[in-house]
Amino acid sequence: MKKVISYASAVIILTVLWGSCKKDEQAVAPPVPENEFLTTVELKVVNESDPSDVQTASWIDLDPDDDTPPDVSKAKLTLKANTKYTVQVLFWDDTKTPRGDVTAEIKERENYHLICFTATSGLDLTVKRTDHDTNSPALEVGLEDEFTTGAASSGTLNVELRHQPNVKDGTCDPGSTDADVNYQITIQ
Amino acid sequence: MALAKTIAMLVMIAYSPIVYGQCAFTLSGKVTDISGSRVQGVLIGIDSLDKAALSTAGGEYHIEDLCPGSYKVTCTAVGFRSQIRTVTLSENARMDWVLLPDTTLLNEVLIKGHQQEGLSTLAQSSLSAESLFKSRSESLGESLKQIPGLNSVQMGPTLSKPVIHGLHSHRILILNNGVRQEGQQWGNDHAPEIDPFTADKVSVIKGAASIMYGSDAISGVVLLEPDSLPTVPGLHGNASVVAASNGRMGAASAMGEGAFGHRLQGLSWRLQGTLKRAGNFSTPHYYMSNTGLKETDFSAAAGYVRGDLKMNVYYSQYNSKIGIFDGSHVGNLDDLEAAFKRPRPITPSYFSYKINRSYQSVHHRLWKATAGYSFSNNGSLELKYARQWDLRDEYDIDIPYSQDPAVLNMPQVSFKLVTHTLDVVYREPGSARFSGSIGLSGSTQGNVFKGLRYLIPNFRNYGGGIYAIEHYHKDHWDLEGGLRYDYLWLRVYQRNQTTLGLYHSTFDYSNASGTVGAGYRFSSRFSAKLNVGTGWRAPSINELYIHGVHFSAATYELGDSTLSSEHSFNTTLNVHYASGSFQADLDVYDNEIDHFIYAKPTLEPVTIISGTYPAFQYTQDNVRLSGFDLEASYGFLKHFDITSKTGIVRGFNKSIHDYLIQMPSDRFDNTLAYRLDSLGRFRNCSISLQNISVRKQNRVPPNSDYVPPPDGYSLLNADISFQLPLQKKKRLDIDFAAKNLTNKAYRDYLNLFRYYTDDLGLNLVLSGKFTF
Repeated sequence: MKKVISYASAVIILTVLWGSCKKDEQAVAPPVPENEFLTTVELKVVNESDPSDVQTASWIDLDPDDDTPPDVSKAKLTLKANTKYTVQVLFWDDTKTPRGDVTAEIKERENYHLICFTATSGLDLTVKRTDHDTNSPALEVGLEDEFTTGAASSGTLNVELRHQPNVKDGTCDPGSTDADVNYQITIQ
Repeated sequence: MALAKTIAMLVMIAYSPIVYGQCAFTLSGKVTDISGSRVQGVLIGIDSLDKAALSTAGGEYHIEDLCPGSYKVTCTAVGFRSQIRTVTLSENARMDWVLLPDTTLLNEVLIKGHQQEGLSTLAQSSLSAESLFKSRSESLGESLKQIPGLNSVQMGPTLSKPVIHGLHSHRILILNNGVRQEGQQWGNDHAPEIDPFTADKVSVIKGAASIMYGSDAISGVVLLEPDSLPTVPGLHGNASVVAASNGRMGAASAMGEGAFGHRLQGLSWRLQGTLKRAGNFSTPHYYMSNTGLKETDFSAAAGYVRGDLKMNVYYSQYNSKIGIFDGSHVGNLDDLEAAFKRPRPITPSYFSYKINRSYQSVHHRLWKATAGYSFSNNGSLELKYARQWDLRDEYDIDIPYSQDPAVLNMPQVSFKLVTHTLDVVYREPGSARFSGSIGLSGSTQGNVFKGLRYLIPNFRNYGGGIYAIEHYHKDHWDLEGGLRYDYLWLRVYQRNQTTLGLYHSTFDYSNASGTVGAGYRFSSRFSAKLNVGTGWRAPSINELYIHGVHFSAATYELGDSTLSSEHSFNTTLNVHYASGSFQADLDVYDNEIDHFIYAKPTLEPVTIISGTYPAFQYTQDNVRLSGFDLEASYGFLKHFDITSKTGIVRGFNKSIHDYLIQMPSDRFDNTLAYRLDSLGRFRNCSISLQNISVRKQNRVPPNSDYVPPPDGYSLLNADISFQLPLQKKKRLDIDFAAKNLTNKAYRDYLNLFRYYTDDLGLNLVLSGKFTF
């Protein structure tokens, strides 16, 4: 009987050793290449009365999961007073070269997304979304907009990308935030 | 002959008053005939002590006041064969008997029975078979709340984890069928991957039980055990059905078991499976969208007993898909604050069984093989090997930003953990005074993390432990002590985010633990026991390496790879009093934990693209958890009884002189029951009314939470249950329960979804169990 036990224990110990020899934990999975991170939010503004007046403001966080502070040095716009601008909001993955275009995916899922703009009280800026999704009735998206500036002033414009699967109702309340960035705007 | 002996022993009992009150163990069990029906009036005796008992109408017998040691036990009944078996007592033990007709030709009668393992001076409570049956609609964490001192930490209606004396997750152990349950137990929302229907007995050890089970048993152990395999040929089993109005939840579970005779004598088997389905659960005023659940479980066991050798194999599978409440998705702190201000969630209120993103998909498989051998000197050796495979995939509410369909269907985070454990225990033969055991255990784990966002790294660990426990018994005293040494080696594998190069870091942790305990029996009614023990836990992988946003809590968590092990010093005092219709149990405890690891708020918030988050850094402080649990029951007016349970716990951070967060608040559970042993054809009828009152948690550190703890609440539950004996010893158990009878809206401090939604409203539950 003791023989049986010693055989049994030998088998068990071998199984443990064999099982633990498959070292798949050592092959740390590399980042999934087709997955795109949101790293950069750009505002591309074109003066409607002067198409050569084009500006781009960028809010960049190259390590989106990390706690290192974002690069906001280019998150600035200087606009002319009492002027209309055609605006595009662009989302990029700058961890890749060439940079990944996340805007296309958001456009594809426009029925789930809404971009919300909030200007600080001193800033004389009106934002109107000009594009619509395919919900019925169609709701605004905000990837394309029109900025109307008033008198000379300055302040912060907050841009939020809201993710609203199955709950989009045209307001900013439902859903959760995918991007929440600030731009310094000067109107002169 | 048998008759004469019976009469002789009966006379003996009648004329031997209780003069042997100095020893405290009880041998009990049930007596059945070959068809499984319980037999009354069978004499079970220990000749050498002149002690004996007759089985009751339910087939149960108890021989009390036994000293530790080895005894020959006889079982005698007119018309049946006399049987003699040996039992070694170092604990209360059970020995079940199956009677064989006098003329039977079977050579051997097998006895199922086992000694309780563990430390006898630690406070231990179990759920009775009755309360286990009544809580079949609930998760494990919820059903354990019936034991005073236990709570559960929840994430919505379906994810629930047990809390013992204020601590949970990796600070308690769950021993499922004798195996340490290993999943990703560090996460608050990672509920145990166990089908509670597999367990026939659920008990809890409150206190530091590291001595027996190794690291992590800092605050206690939850033990889930199946019934032992059958020994008598024939097919038996049961089928259970549960239907609940809230969530329109349905569960069905069936179990069949049998044993072989003739040439396959000694071989037995069991098959069991469970299906569970629920849709959106509702609060008193609205449904919580996407809170459905789908679960499919299966288990199989086979055993073989031959002479002194016992072998057992067990396999189980747990598969679930659990929806996460839509209203709990917050992108950042602004979202979270907006959610607090809403009196009810903004998500649509509707019923559906459909589970959308986000959800968890969890699979757990367990393989276990045990072999035990009893030596001629009554010592025994047990070997136990188990392999657990755990796969947890979590899908966020957002589909990843990608054009690739493969990436679109990928979980955002995926954990695969494979655990091998090997345990060897030798139980010494034992004498009237001494009993004990020594054990060796070894384990290894490999963790593979994949994800579209980073959460924790891959790792491999190897652990080993050795322990010895000795128990001494004399007169009114029980003394015990134990020593253990553990070693853990951990290697963490990572990839540099920019260069993509692989690198690893290696850690090792070791710890010696000890326990001493004493029990004293003042009288047959009154006893007390005191245990002082140490426990330890190595830091878990998230505490060392987590780095990123904790979804649904809107916090940014930072691990610290320099953290050291936690050490606990736990003192528990248990006092037991039982007299006639009154019974009371009091546990008082103090758990001093050094280097207690917790996430401490840092002053600087973290800004990333999705917003600004409060940051939490894992750090260590010295803390104290103390409190008491009280359970008392009193029977009055013949059919009435009242049971009162109180659980009080206080958590205090000694380093910063402030309270600990997420501590259970004071909980009071009072039940009034009316019971009738029989009513017409019905048996064990009861009707009860229960009040559960939970006070507001006022002991929280300032500025530690986004919103103050919710108000206290008081809920009313009602229950009606009965048994219906059927032909051929078959039986039907029926239970009808109404939970939250007044449909009261409330939020519980330990439910992490209290930020977003009320707790469950009225739930009507009908449970039935057919035993054959």
